[in-house]
Amino acid sequence: MATRPLDAARIERANLWWRIGSLAPAIIILAALSIWPVFNLAYLSLADVDWVSGAAVVNFVGLQNFQELFTGEPVYWAGVRNTTVFAVCAVTLQMIFGFTMALAVRRASKLGRGLLTAIFLLPIVIPPIVIGAMWRLLLGRDFGMVNFLFSLVGLPQVDWLGDPRFALMSVIIVDVWHWTPFVFLLTLAGLESLDQEVFDAAKLDVKNRWQELRYITIPLMMPTILITLAFRMILSFKVFDEIYLLTGGGPGTATEVINFSINRVFFAQDRVGMGSAMSLVTIAGVAGMIVFANTVVRRRRKLRAEA
Amino acid sequence: MSEKTFGKYTKGTVARLLAGLSVAACLASSAVAQDAGTLRVLISQSPWLNAFVSLVDEYQAETGTKFQLDVPPFGGMVDKTRNSVRAETGSYDIININAQSLAEMYAGGFLKPLKEIDASFALPKGVVDFGGSAYWSAEKNSFDPNGELYGVPTNGNVLVLYYRSDLYEDAGLQVPKTWDDLIANAKALHNPPETYGFVARGTRESILFDFSPMLFSFGGSYFADPQQGDYSITLNNLQGLQALETFIKLNKEYGTGNPGALEQAELIQLLATGKAAQGTAVIAAVADLQDPNKSIVTDTIETALLPAGPEGKHASVAGQWMAGIPKNIPEANQQAAMKFLKWFLEKETQVAYVEAGGIPIRSDLADTALAGDPNYRFIKAFSENADVAQMNTPMKEGVRMKEVISLYLNRALIGEISAKEALNGAAQEAHDVLTAAGYKLTPPKML
Repeated sequence: MATRPLDAARIERANLWWRIGSLAPAIIILAALSIWPVFNLAYLSLADVDWVSGAAVVNFVGLQNFQELFTGEPVYWAGVRNTTVFAVCAVTLQMIFGFTMALAVRRASKLGRGLLTAIFLLPIVIPPIVIGAMWRLLLGRDFGMVNFLFSLVGLPQVDWLGDPRFALMSVIIVDVWHWTPFVFLLTLAGLESLDQEVFDAAKLDVKNRWQELRYITIPLMMPTILITLAFRMILSFKVFDEIYLLTGGGPGTATEVINFSINRVFFAQDRVGMGSAMSLVTIAGVAGMIVFANTVVRRRRKLRAEA
Repeated sequence: MSEKTFGKYTKGTVARLLAGLSVAACLASSAVAQDAGTLRVLISQSPWLNAFVSLVDEYQAETGTKFQLDVPPFGGMVDKTRNSVRAETGSYDIININAQSLAEMYAGGFLKPLKEIDASFALPKGVVDFGGSAYWSAEKNSFDPNGELYGVPTNGNVLVLYYRSDLYEDAGLQVPKTWDDLIANAKALHNPPETYGFVARGTRESILFDFSPMLFSFGGSYFADPQQGDYSITLNNLQGLQALETFIKLNKEYGTGNPGALEQAELIQLLATGKAAQGTAVIAAVADLQDPNKSIVTDTIETALLPAGPEGKHASVAGQWMAGIPKNIPEANQQAAMKFLKWFLEKETQVAYVEAGGIPIRSDLADTALAGDPNYRFIKAFSENADVAQMNTPMKEGVRMKEVISLYLNRALIGEISAKEALNGAAQEAHDVLTAAGYKLTPPKML
């Protein structure tokens, strides 16, 4: 039966309202839970909150918190430096190990694939608190398993978590151990989705597996690699639990990270204005990173499409 | 399904959902409605929790008062406390407050002065007030025994000296009276990695607490005269320098080799496993050190008054917990809370508290059943240290002060900067922070 124009318009309008109505709750919840808190942070970053006679006194201080942040919060900037070193080193190693593991699993037999996948995924399912306790037991100076093994072969004890020269490196090692499975999982999914016909066709041109990896696999995997890299980089900037449990940010500022500074200022010191300013600067930094990664991925896609 | 039916179905669902939510909300509100006969207590997960719980059980059996304990880990206490006292109606009738947050709670006006609940109430003689920290003077912005009474001590945690009596006996050593004696003992007993001569906490979280008794006993101080409201920074003077150099020497030469990373759990482990011959730790650690399931030195670990400085001055540092009654709870609950706290302070109750594993808050238990019992031999050292215990950063900005100063002390301990640089840096930054907060201060003189 043909639909009359009037009915079609009514249905169209009803559909539109239904779409708006069904999307509205999700949009409202998203706005309430993510956009409003950011606006609230922005508001608080311009204020100083004090408590007098049990009531909050909010004083508008303009950009004073930001001025103080950029000139008088050395611990936060030590955290920025350490977080950057931490993120770059940890994520680079995770990408190399994770991708290598994914290649190994892809080439393994069916039985080996299941076994290796289960083993490789183990660290990611362990709760952070257990990881902290476990690695403290391993890396502790006097009672740690690693130093015990060192002593068996006559090597000197190393203060993995308490020596400023080794503390950040130790935390990076723990993070690499913890998060490499994440990279492994994503890159394995990417490898599985590659078209086998491309590899079959390339067999005529490539001489060995290295060439296949360099000229076929990696270029095809580049979007997955970049997305995984961006994802891990963002998550690395959020590091908190491992540092909290292993070193507490010390010794000195050797393992201080951004989130640790924010937590200390916001919650321990109750300096809501400064904590908000730190949070906003950090959000801006991470957002910049996302935009950068997105731009790179889009540009690559565009270049490929043009080619 | 036609569009009309779909619309009806959706409307019906929404109506049912709203009705369900309303019923759930009503049920929830009645569930959280306060039972006037129940005392709601916020208390940290800590070694003295079980002792407190045993008293709660006893009080419940005696009076029929019901209790509801909220027991977050130490790290979650401040947030829970702030959330409750800043709300229109508080969630707790009694809040246990750590020494570090006391000034914030008192100065913020969140607690009810105890004399406004019970005009006749005063801390009984024999109850330790830990450097006057039960009282607050809004005028002087400081703890002041002449100020308003806000707190009742619930756990007397002070820093004490731990030592191994068997090692002392073997080496012919005496309990140290001065820090120099302690260094001499440490030198005689230091045999790493089997035995460390001396251990103390040196992490950013704890160093200020463990360093403070040494600073005070050397005649130094963080602030000029806190009880009179003068918070001019005095940390970087000769006494302060001497104290910090001694602290670094003790920990570096006779410690574990990583003093800047040594925190409480590891320190107790070192003492409990017999790897540390001497150390400073909170009195609450005695519970673990005397527990045969956790320690191999139960009979030989002893406690003593912290050594004196060059002028013979003894000092300790107060890390006690105080119970406060919030303003934002009904008057009946305030009365009930007050009644419990008065009972808690009684001498007899305190004896039961110690027997259950708690650290007392009275210094007059020497004539009780506890005297002479080797299990409670720590009480003498507790009382002596409690008598000379001081608050280290006794102001509203105390947590921030602690963090500023601790970072410099920790950096000096790990050798990043010299003791002099640490004290000058800490003094200048602390001065800047307090000046920005509106304090009128004399600028610190640089070393």
